[in-house]
Amino acid sequence: MSEIRAEMVANVWKVVATPGEQVHDGDTLVILESMKMEIPVLAESDGTLTKLAVAEGDVIQEGDLIAVIE
Amino acid sequence: MLLSVGLRASVHVVVAESDTAVALGSGDVPVLGTPRLLALAEAAAVAAVAPQLARGETTVGTSVTMEHRRASPVGSSLVIEAELTEVDGQRLVFSFIAREEHSRAQAPGARPPGADASRTQAPAAAPLEDEAPWAQAPEAGALGGDERVVGAGTLERVVVSRERFLARAAAHHPGPQ
Repeated sequence: MSEIRAEMVANVWKVVATPGEQVHDGDTLVILESMKMEIPVLAESDGTLTKLAVAEGDVIQEGDLIAVIE
Repeated sequence: MLLSVGLRASVHVVVAESDTAVALGSGDVPVLGTPRLLALAEAAAVAAVAPQLARGETTVGTSVTMEHRRASPVGSSLVIEAELTEVDGQRLVFSFIAREEHSRAQAPGARPPGADASRTQAPAAAPLEDEAPWAQAPEAGALGGDERVVGAGTLERVVVSRERFLARAAAHHPGPQ
């Protein structure tokens, strides 16, 4: 299982992946927005996206859980 | 995108009434307003990297540190130079310096303040091999001749897709229907 957490304060701009979906290392799961930039959050391993803890429009803090891949 | 440290450009301006703190609402004295100085520095930074951006890319400002050291009355001639000093992915850091080129006492026949609507010249990119001016004598009073440092600082901008950036901005702040 791998947990993907936020590395900075950001807004959730787009949720690209869907829970239950098979994802591969490097796939874009979510796109964050911070300091006017788009910052893609990528899968860090192959597996099933079992949890997506954010929604579009959310403001997340450094360390917040974004997704879980198993 | 071919951005590298050392890219730079300059902007020239003759201070007009519309540039003053009074006109900008940032103060109540008729001298160059700090927001206007910042805008000129941003313009120079934009110009420094614009030729190197890919089609559809632009830069947007994210952070500023600035000293406004000297007052510039209407009629003052300024040059503001910006240089790209750091490239960190999409994030760009610039240094800038603003100098007053001449005193307010213009030579006979000089253009009167505000007489030319095109007083702000288009930013000009400087040859890359030239030595950065602020690396020599950035402190006020240290420059030779009648050049004086008006302000200096650093700017940060990020490279974005113009289209996607504007789409995000519109999504956050939908306009009137």
